[in-house]
Formats: sequence, structure tokens, C-alpha cells
Amino acid sequence: MFPFLGTRNGRIIAGALAAVFLLAIGFGAGLLTRPGTPGDDSADAGFARDMSTHHAQAVEMGMIAFQKASLPEVRTLGGDIALTQKGQIGVMSTWLKDWGLDVNTTRAPMSWMPNGQAELVNNLMPGMATREEVAKLNSATGKQVDILFCQYMLRHHLGGIHMVDDVLAQHPRPEVAELAQTMKQNQTAEVSVLRTLLTQLGAQPL
Amino acid sequence: MSTGDVRRPSLNKLVNKAAATDKPDPDVIEDEEGEEAAAPAAKTTPAKASPAKSARPAKSAAPARSSSSSSGSSSSGSSSAKTTATKTAARTSGTATKSARPGTKQPAGRPGARGPVKAAGGKGRKPTAPIRVKSGVNWGPIAMFSIAGLLAVGIIAWGAVAVYKNEHKTPWQQRAAAIAGIHNYLASNPDWFKVPAEGNHKAGILTYPTNPPVGGIHNPTWQNCMGDVYDSQIAKEQATHSMEHGAVWITYRPDLPKAQVDELASKVRNQTFMLMSPYPGLDAPISLQAWGYQLKLDNASDKRIDQFIDALRINATQEPQAGCSGGITDATPTPLDMAPLPTQ
Repeated sequence: MFPFLGTRNGRIIAGALAAVFLLAIGFGAGLLTRPGTPGDDSADAGFARDMSTHHAQAVEMGMIAFQKASLPEVRTLGGDIALTQKGQIGVMSTWLKDWGLDVNTTRAPMSWMPNGQAELVNNLMPGMATREEVAKLNSATGKQVDILFCQYMLRHHLGGIHMVDDVLAQHPRPEVAELAQTMKQNQTAEVSVLRTLLTQLGAQPL
Repeated sequence: MSTGDVRRPSLNKLVNKAAATDKPDPDVIEDEEGEEAAAPAAKTTPAKASPAKSARPAKSAAPARSSSSSSGSSSSGSSSAKTTATKTAARTSGTATKSARPGTKQPAGRPGARGPVKAAGGKGRKPTAPIRVKSGVNWGPIAMFSIAGLLAVGIIAWGAVAVYKNEHKTPWQQRAAAIAGIHNYLASNPDWFKVPAEGNHKAGILTYPTNPPVGGIHNPTWQNCMGDVYDSQIAKEQATHSMEHGAVWITYRPDLPKAQVDELASKVRNQTFMLMSPYPGLDAPISLQAWGYQLKLDNASDKRIDQFIDALRINATQEPQAGCSGGITDATPTPLDMAPLPTQ
């Protein structure tokens, strides 16, 4: 039936082809039996993890503004941002749990984004403040709290929107797409509020 | 290749038939020996036949081999294997008769099978014959097909596992347990982590059974753990509260070389649910803590540091979804809040 099996090379080639074929079957079986959830290396999982870290800093800065800003609008905005983003962290960590993944990964942060690694400086994702900047905000008083918060938060939102655009471009799952779109919508609206507040405070964006 | 196996039982039947009709002849034994040696060559791959075996019965071995390969090419499935086997057997016995000395009777088919020998087991048989026949069970193809089968299963399993591993991460408890040298105090001393009725917050200096602590009652305010790298000692009572929220606390002996301190800091800085501080009196150069877990190390380049963080950051917590911001950002060796709370 298989004349080529009569030669040594023929058998080696046939064996190699059989191994490749079986490997394909294995991958196929794995793909067919998987629960239909994103993998550890997916953009969905990467977004859920990295946006949680990104959001955590918005919570930190929002709470400082909520406690210490001088303008009532800034205090309200700080509290609003902190509560919203803390809730979204909970949603995103629940996704990871539901997908059989983990909030942690040994993969580099932002590796799900095209050129993501290049944008990462000192573990800082786009728009994030350094620890020194957060400390400066934390120790600021009076109107300086309002100005620093609006400046840092504006930059933070723009970086966050950039990450949202990157995940939306990678055809995320429906629940990821839905939350990412609402993030973009809300943060874009808050960006214009922050610009207005900065003008009101007589300050410029960073 | 599988036709070789399928062919075998039906051949045995034929052999039995032939043995039943043919009377045993002293010459048969000699011929049997010759064909038996050729048999493995026909069953396994032709190339594998050793020269010593195929040397003596060269004439009978050659047709057996060719008939084996022709049966392989003519049969397309197991259903036709029986008829093919019949043909093959007929052909084999035919060629064997031709090559044999005149007047001798040839056993049809492969004498490696048990059938004819049992039937031929008369009084005149030498005692060595049954032993030889028993060893006639051909392990070559059995081993080959077993190995090929195992290989196939292994390859398929490897492919499936590769997909599965990307889809499912090993639970963090298992990942933590796999770290060499880690101590799981949640398992060994669960009482330390029980929350008393009056709550697990207490101001002032507290004592802990391990150094540094790995959990238990702690100060009401936590140490900020948003990737904060503290250059001087912090209050352990506050850091313990950070660990309750899911933070990994990296401590090092103050004499740790700066290069190693920098290496540790690179894993902490700007990473949420992480904090780091020097710890005077530490009994190891480096100690990693998370709620309930501890790992003491000698070097900052130890791979277990990343494993510890990957397993326990955020996961090891008594208060899921609690935060790391809004805590104390000052580094003070003793708690900032020394006064007991009036209500507690």
C-alpha cells in the first residue's frame, strides 16, 4: 500500500509526517475541548491584568483628591473616579478567575500590546505617575492638590484610553469590548472636564 | 504494517490445519528451525533481519519476505486481511516446498506459531523443541508497535497539554507549594490567622511568632503597598496589614549589597500590591512574606522570588479586593498609631 515504506528514508519521512499529524491532532483536540476562554497570552487577559494595575493608581490619586482637594468639583471627581475604577478592577479580576487564569503572570506587562514593551518605563504603563509624583500629590496642600491631581489624572486617562484602543483593535470578547468601550467613553468625557478644571485653576496640562 | 498483526491469528489457524493433516516428520524439525529464523524477518521490517538468521534459510526467507510485503500492499483493510493471509500462506508454503529437499513435507505458514508444535509434540521430539517454540513469540513487532503507540499517545498528549496550559493556570496554592523552601504557616499554624471576636486590628507595637511576621493581628492602618520601595525600616504591624490586603512584602538585611537591593527594587517599584523595606536583625539576607507564607533567601537573583510573587501577590489575602493605596507612606520603625482605639 505504501511502497515508500520500503526505503529507509521513506520510513523516516513517513514517521516525521506521522508525528506532525499526531501533534496537529493533539492541538486540535486541545482546542476543541478548551472551555472557549482567553488564554494566558491573550489580549483579553493582558488587558484585564494591566488595566487593573493602571486603574489602581487612579484609585490612589482619586482618593487623595477626594480627601484633600480644595474645590468641591475636584473632590467629587476624585471620589467618582476612585469608586468607578475600583469597581472595574473587581470586574476584571473576576474575568481572570472565570477564565481559569490568574491576576498574576510571568509574562512581561503590556506584552499583549503591539510595541507595549517599548512603552513601559520602570514598570510604568502609559500615563501613569511615578511614585515620586504620587508622593508629591500626597504631600501637597491647598490648590496645589487640585492642580496636581487634574494634571496627573488627565495624563493617566489619556494613557488609559490608549490601552483601551489597543485592546479594542484586537477583537476582544464581548464583555471585554463592552467594558473597554464604556471606559473610553467615560474617560474621554472626564478628560474634557479635567481640561476645563485646569483652565479654571489657571494651570496647564503636563 | 498492521496487516502483519492481523494476518497472524488466521495464519495460526492455517498452520493448525496443516499440522493436523500432515504427519510429523523428523525432517520437519530441521525445516521448522530454518523457517522460524526467517519468520521474524518477515514480521518485522525486512531491513531488520539479522544476517545470521537469514543466512541459512536464504531461499525460504526471501519469498517469505516478499510475500509479506505483497500482502501489505494488496490488503487495504482488516476485512480483507483473512483472504490475503490465505493467499500469502499458500504462496509461502508453495515456495517453501520448492526450495525444500524432495520428499519432505513442509509445514504451511509460519512455524513460529504454537499450533504445529503442539500437534507435532510426539514421542520422538527432543526436549529442546518446546523451549524454542515458546521463544517463538515474536517480541520484536510487539515492542515496535507498543513503542509506536506510546509515541503517538505522547505526541497527541503533548499537543493537548500545550493548549491546555495556555488556557488554565495552575491554582496559586499549588504554585506556592511547589516553591522549594517556602513555609506555609496557614497550613502549619492556622490559629495565628483566626480573626478574634473583637477584630484583628490593634494599635501599637505587637509581637509575632515569626520574624518578620506573616500575618495575624495588626495595626488599623496599613503601609502603602503600591509598589513602594522604602529605604528605611517600616513598622511590621503596618506591613502585616498590607499583607492582609494581598501585598507581597520583600525584606532584606541592611547589609545586603546595593546591587542586590536594586535588583529587588526593580521587582517592586510601581508594581501594585508590592512593598519592600530593610529589616534589621533578619536571620537571612532576604525574606519574602505574603499573608501566611514566607521564604528566606540568600540572593536577589534567586528565581524563586518571581515564583513567590507570581503565586502569592493579590492571591494570598484575607480581604480580597482590598486596596494598597491610602496607607501610610512614611517609613517609621515603630507604628505611627501608638494609642489604642477608644472603641476597640
